[in-house]
Amino acid sequence: MIRTLAWAIGALLLAGIVHIVTVIGLPRFAVADPWQEIAAHGVEESFVRLPRAGPGETPLPGLDPALTHSVCRFSLDRGPVRLRADAAEVYWSLSLYDRRGLWVWGVDNRAAEQKPIDILVATDVQVAQLRETLPDELDDVVIVDWPGREGFAIYKILVPTRSQEAEVEAVLATARCAVAPIR
Amino acid sequence: MRLVVELFASLVIALAVGLGSAWYMVDGPRIGVGVGAWTAMPSIAADSADPYSRARVARSGEIAMGAGEGLVFIAEQDDEGRSLDGGCDYALTGEAPTARLWTLTVSDLAGRLPRAASGRTFLTSREILRDIDGRFEIAVSAGARPGNWLPAPAEGALRLVLRLYDTPLALSPGADMVMPHIERRGCR
Repeated sequence: MIRTLAWAIGALLLAGIVHIVTVIGLPRFAVADPWQEIAAHGVEESFVRLPRAGPGETPLPGLDPALTHSVCRFSLDRGPVRLRADAAEVYWSLSLYDRRGLWVWGVDNRAAEQKPIDILVATDVQVAQLRETLPDELDDVVIVDWPGREGFAIYKILVPTRSQEAEVEAVLATARCAVAPIR
Repeated sequence: MRLVVELFASLVIALAVGLGSAWYMVDGPRIGVGVGAWTAMPSIAADSADPYSRARVARSGEIAMGAGEGLVFIAEQDDEGRSLDGGCDYALTGEAPTARLWTLTVSDLAGRLPRAASGRTFLTSREILRDIDGRFEIAVSAGARPGNWLPAPAEGALRLVLRLYDTPLALSPGADMVMPHIERRGCR
């Protein structure tokens, strides 16, 4: 009896370890995380408009069908990445996610006060370099200190009515994402 | 011999329980603050996300809403705890929490949106009709309804998703939040 109990306790302890190792290890070995899902939609360092989520079609899991989305996957290996876009007059939001699909930074139309979006994403080292020789053209740019080297940005805009869809899509199409090397 | 059998049995049980429980916790959002029939999705902010949410995002590829962006609530049961079913008609009544914009969708448990004749798959706070007190009633059913109507799948389990954009709400257990009631109005 005691012997069985001892084995049972041992099994449960081991089960706990297996549980923890699995949960912690999963992000490292995942093959369908957002980063890889986005790769299927286009090239790096360029905004790609995603199809609207609709019946039988969800380009990426979790997207709101009421909004239209554009996504840019970036890597900071070749320098900081600059994100620019016109601000829509309706609700919009620009969010930055890290390599694991976790949210890091974001801005929406209330925070931006209808100013055009102009963001520079840079690593610690790149930020330090930029501080030394801040070019004039970057005066009004919001600099985001990036943890890691990779990530992706999503620009999303509400489509209030079907008649405004073309107008909203035109604003979405102004989104630019490009490597901005430090000179 | 007995030792080998015991060791083998323990290992099998440990693996089954450990992997099974991990799969269960990661398969869907299992931890979240509940408000009535609704459950708020846990934060996926890089600096504060819990290990289960990290694993869930990695596994599903889901692009979840950011912490500063808003909150997402899901409901898979009505106010009385019965699972939402496409064979029934539901009414969402009352008020939604303060937010600059909210959107409501209904899908199956895999997140697939219904194929409605009208092509409509969502409702937003901008377009719904309210009474003088600001309260609303939204019909969630497969058949067309007058007034606020969100077309639902005709069969199978349903999931309601309420996304609040730019809300001043902070999530904490026991927080005073007004969420719409989910009432079952009849089944076919």
